[in-house]
Amino acid sequence: MTAFLALLQDYTIQNVVAGAALLGLISGVLGSFAVLRQQSLLGDTMSHAALPGVCLGFIIAGTRHMGSILLGALVTGALAALVMLLLTRMSRLKTDAGLGIALSVFFALGVVLLTHIQGMNNAAQGGLDAFLFGQAAATLRSDVWIMGGITLAALALVAALWKEFKLVTFDPEFAASLGMPVVWLEVLLTVMIALAVVVGLQMVGVVLMAAMVIAPAVAARQWSHRLEDMVWLAAAIGVVGGVFGALLSALSRGLATGPLIILSVSVAVLVSITLAPGRGLVWEAMRLWRGRRRLRDQQVLTTLYRLAAHHADPVYRSEQGMLDTYHGLGTRAALRKLERRGLVEWGQARPGEPGPERRWVLTPAGIAEAERILASLNGEGA
Amino acid sequence: MTQSLHEPGLALHVEDLTVSYQSKPVLWDIDFDVPPGVMAGIVGPNGAGKSTLIKSVLGLVPSVAGHVRLLGLPYKAQRRRVGYVPQRSSVDWDFPTTALDVVTMGLYGRLGWLKRPGRRERDEAMAALEQVGMTDLARRQISQLSGGQQQRVFLARALVQQADVYFLDEPMAGVDATTERAIVDILRRLRDDGKTLIVVHHDLQTVRSYFDWLLILNVRVIAQGPVSEVYTAENLKRAYGGQIALLDETGFLSDRASGS
Amino acid sequence: MLAALFDNVPLMIMLVGALVGIASSLVGTFLVLRGNSMLSDAIGHAIVFGIVIVWLLTHQQSGPVQLVGAALTGLLTVVLTELLVRTRRVKQDAAIGLVFPVLFSIGVLLLNLYARDVHIDTHTVLLGEIGFVWLDTVTLGDVRVPQALLSMGAMTLLNAAFVGLFYKELKLATFDETLARALGLAPGVLFYGLLLLTSGTAVAAFDAVGAVLFVAFVIVPPATAYLLTDRLWLMFGYGTLVSIAASVSGYYLAVAWNVSIGGMMAVMTGVLLMLAFLAGPHYGLVAQWLRRRGQRRLNEIRTLAVHLYNHEGSPEQHEENVTRALREHLLWDDARARRVVERSCERHLIVRAGEALTLTSAGRELAREILEPGRQGARAGGR
Repeated sequence: MTAFLALLQDYTIQNVVAGAALLGLISGVLGSFAVLRQQSLLGDTMSHAALPGVCLGFIIAGTRHMGSILLGALVTGALAALVMLLLTRMSRLKTDAGLGIALSVFFALGVVLLTHIQGMNNAAQGGLDAFLFGQAAATLRSDVWIMGGITLAALALVAALWKEFKLVTFDPEFAASLGMPVVWLEVLLTVMIALAVVVGLQMVGVVLMAAMVIAPAVAARQWSHRLEDMVWLAAAIGVVGGVFGALLSALSRGLATGPLIILSVSVAVLVSITLAPGRGLVWEAMRLWRGRRRLRDQQVLTTLYRLAAHHADPVYRSEQGMLDTYHGLGTRAALRKLERRGLVEWGQARPGEPGPERRWVLTPAGIAEAERILASLNGEGA
Repeated sequence: MTQSLHEPGLALHVEDLTVSYQSKPVLWDIDFDVPPGVMAGIVGPNGAGKSTLIKSVLGLVPSVAGHVRLLGLPYKAQRRRVGYVPQRSSVDWDFPTTALDVVTMGLYGRLGWLKRPGRRERDEAMAALEQVGMTDLARRQISQLSGGQQQRVFLARALVQQADVYFLDEPMAGVDATTERAIVDILRRLRDDGKTLIVVHHDLQTVRSYFDWLLILNVRVIAQGPVSEVYTAENLKRAYGGQIALLDETGFLSDRASGS
Repeated sequence: MLAALFDNVPLMIMLVGALVGIASSLVGTFLVLRGNSMLSDAIGHAIVFGIVIVWLLTHQQSGPVQLVGAALTGLLTVVLTELLVRTRRVKQDAAIGLVFPVLFSIGVLLLNLYARDVHIDTHTVLLGEIGFVWLDTVTLGDVRVPQALLSMGAMTLLNAAFVGLFYKELKLATFDETLARALGLAPGVLFYGLLLLTSGTAVAAFDAVGAVLFVAFVIVPPATAYLLTDRLWLMFGYGTLVSIAASVSGYYLAVAWNVSIGGMMAVMTGVLLMLAFLAGPHYGLVAQWLRRRGQRRLNEIRTLAVHLYNHEGSPEQHEENVTRALREHLLWDDARARRVVERSCERHLIVRAGEALTLTSAGRELAREILEPGRQGARAGGR
């Protein structure tokens, strides 16, 4: 525990944890809109496209100045989104091709610029290519302030335009009929993803940013029925995942921070998809299983009823073995459950009857229930 | 004709409207008038431009030529007096939002920038949900609603707009018989309150019983006016061409359209 | 003579670059047409994981076993994505963006843990270094051939053989999957075969161009071709041409500016795409714009003809069929109204007498053709 507290007092680790939390916050909030607008991979394209911006920012500033590098990243990231939109709107190329083209060509331009900078033999170039994977450990306090400012600006914008963003995401046509400037709102939502990318550059790098935009939102979606809840939860998952990954990396000394953050939020996705109440796969499987069990109970009950009706004997006694052959399976468990519900009885065979001594008999409640089931089946069939 | 009031006596006045998608015209020189206080149907075969006509009136699709007046003024000036129910299939119903939320969205236009919906808006939305018989399902996530219930939510969203003219794009498509009756009842009540309803409709069988005004459309105006005058075998044949043969065989046309 | 050829470093580099492009666009064409381009992005990144795993298991980076092993992880990405989509909780694009970062992260962490001192530099993994392909050679007979040339050549042949053998099946599976399934062609298996080859190509192209630039070679040449032609076989031709042109021009520009050769080649594919996007003969922006403008002008004339036809002989004719109505009813500005009237007069569709506009018989015929195509056809048939 003391070791953990000491960890938290470490200047570098404070920076890393703060940066990771900010990244989780902004990408959780903006990612929710991106995922719901089916623009999940836009974050991937924009983050790869940030590389030439990083290089241009460096070339223009002449030094590794964080502000200009992030500004460059913002500009080329947004530009790539624009190119993607242009290619898909103005030609026959589909969204996936537009995304892939913008991603790979902008990244290639970044590689070219990166080697150009290396060719300049500038001593200050050091660590520029670290933006590929992020370099969380090198985060300075000043970087944290910049990231905080960007996050704050993005959150303020989302808060101010909340209902507009919500309606444009859900039903853009209706939004337009109300007179909202739909195109501008959509452009704004798209460009704001570039803000998240810029915050993520330092922490997870361009390659892994895709998951940071998608994972918290997808995880949160499984637990929530309203956009408000989803965005809050995505922000929380992003922050917790970010902080957890950052601390894990600090504790392990030597494991890269970015991948650990990504794995943390991805685990959140996995847990959410399987366990979230209502939407989770486990719950669905349980519902399915219960339904099947109930159906089986009903089938056994109606078989008893049919046998009784066939023999014109309401207290007809059925052998366990006969019921098993009818259903091709063991029916004891189902019969025991029906017995507990008071629908059947495990009664004595009539004196002198051949075969086993104890047999299954319908109770009056069982007869009523079987008739109800059969009636509802017929009703559905009609 | 001036920039101000033009044909103020009509709920909707469309004049010489030509609309094209990707430079391919889908509506040619449409002249279409709807008097106030009627329930007007728009029918025509697939690809006739029924939805496009509504969208163009609402400024969602640009027009090549012509103009539109709602209660005497362009749409931009009359936005607050118009309600719109888009096709149900136009949105993703898996979106994380509740029925109440969706209905509240109808008030966003009135609220203006930066203002959030509050208690008053929620009460209004609840009242609209009550009108369509959905009070119990107000907090339900929209993906858990049936098709008919989703359509009622969309209708409630338009109701909350408190408009004078309503545009509905296929509100009866894919809903159960009960919902269809409920929707028609609500629309009739609105009409009796003096509102105007303009409905894109696909089911010719119910045209006579639902509507009192009709536009038969197929890229151009085939016929328009009171249903009793317009809904004739001749006009339907002109609009639907070969497709009407099916209806002929069922004896539907001779039964209904000839007015016997 | 042959040895001199293989010792020609620039030629070798350009050749490898062109082969990367050709092999990639052979499979990429189908990915682009199916709308699955971003799978190549996922595969490219996930291969990093595969290469690390294979290295941990065999302590070797190259060789046929390693190639197949790494390629299988590309396929694993696709399978995992597919599984995630099957749960119906995640849409396909989101699933792609979730799976490959996880695999990539695990790959990086494994490197952190076990392979600190090893020559798998994450930097090269992403960027590749096509300029160094001639360093790694194998001796065939008495010629030293670059390893990358051999593996890329083999991949190109393999991809070409696959596409050649299953050309008609792939074509059908791409354009009409349901029909292909109905005919018993197993489009799913074909698609997985295609993705396996994509992964294999990614692994083979890895040293040369790295994970991300590979994406450019898969998507951009076929996308360029798609902007130039509608024919599938021609798309392969254009894809090959784009690859070669990008490789050659990229090499010389990179040398001139002293920048990454692979990067410059990928940038050049983008430049060629932009050229096709702007100046393509049919789908290019300029061609589209010209066609639309022609269409728009024609439509204006037709709109006028229909308008006049609709009101001809009606009581409101005197206020509808006049030049003033174009401004007041059609809401055209003066210049446009004048232009349309002039053009229509030139084509003898209307005659103008003062304010009044009257259709000629040709103009009436045009309007009728538009409004009642059925009747026109029937009459033409009757004649």
